[in-house]
Amino acid sequence: MADILLIEPDRLLADTYLQALAMAGHSVGVCVGAQAAIMVADQTKPDLVVLELQLTSHSGIEFLYEFRSYPEWQKIPVVVQSHVPVTEFADSWDLLNKELGVVAYLYKPQTSLDKLVKTVNQQLAVKA
Amino acid sequence: MMARNEGGSPILSQQLLLGVAEELKLPLLQIARQAEQGRLTGQTDLRLIQETADGALRLLDNYALGVRLALDPEHLALESVSVSSVLYNTGQQLDALAKNYGVELELNIAGRFGPVLAHRQGLEAALVSLGAALIEGLPAQDSPQLKLQLATHRSRYGIVAGLYADTKQLSSQALQSGRRLQRRSRQPLVNLSHTSGAGVFVADTILKAMDLHLVASRHHRLYGLGTVLQPNNQLHLV
Repeated sequence: MADILLIEPDRLLADTYLQALAMAGHSVGVCVGAQAAIMVADQTKPDLVVLELQLTSHSGIEFLYEFRSYPEWQKIPVVVQSHVPVTEFADSWDLLNKELGVVAYLYKPQTSLDKLVKTVNQQLAVKA
Repeated sequence: MMARNEGGSPILSQQLLLGVAEELKLPLLQIARQAEQGRLTGQTDLRLIQETADGALRLLDNYALGVRLALDPEHLALESVSVSSVLYNTGQQLDALAKNYGVELELNIAGRFGPVLAHRQGLEAALVSLGAALIEGLPAQDSPQLKLQLATHRSRYGIVAGLYADTKQLSSQALQSGRRLQRRSRQPLVNLSHTSGAGVFVADTILKAMDLHLVASRHHRLYGLGTVLQPNNQLHLV
């Protein structure tokens, strides 16, 4: 079991993802925005973050820069699950992967709950 | 009575169509994941799936109405309309969506307002599109519980009908920058919505087709978006 921080702006989708991850035995904290996510991360010390990049006000990229600025959070794996296709980051994948620590990128419309859970478990296993 | 749509409407713009297509991914994704969850758990929330599909169909219907109004002024039959009844019907259409998103929807139609001259279906469609976009977008701003008020009030410009909340994000600036960014950004209303915000632009487009405008407005210390309607004085006297 791991502590997952799920940053998902749509409340209906967030409920669905939360239940899927909880069924897989994880404890899940949900935030709909980047600002709250930083505060929740501080309180819950997550083992892994699942992040949508399209957030209201502050983007997921802004969250990543803020998140990685704290030394204790630099090694926490981040799985991006986004409406934005990864092809839009073709030129900046190194930035996402190497500098901001995105370990996996899932295109939301093509990611089943099963695939999300498998990806999260794989990344937790790698971290361990 | 007919009104003619002046040129320059972006109704057929590829940007708006793209925005609607992007927006429709959300309800389809919700339905797909809810169905998958139902398969995994043996418990499918068919009511939620139905309401989600209804919302998607409503966005498509409203977009199509906007196109028809802009392309064919014959559709723009104006009639004497009670703003209160339009807001009431809008509230009815948004009720299920608001409940699903944990949004408290209030109807504030206190006060007596005479009839306005408008295209009833278009006005309702614009307010429903706007309301749906705000219900889906605004709760994503870390606020524990959003209250959204459907309200009408008098201003020096006419009778204003719109949606109001206790958030400064509903501003003229957000609207203007959204319109500018619509052509270039997949999230033009960045402070209002995490999606393409197509509902706001569909409302904008329908109102433009009716020679009305989507504007920012204040009411009872709340911030909102709505439109200014002109009283039908002739009918009022009768």
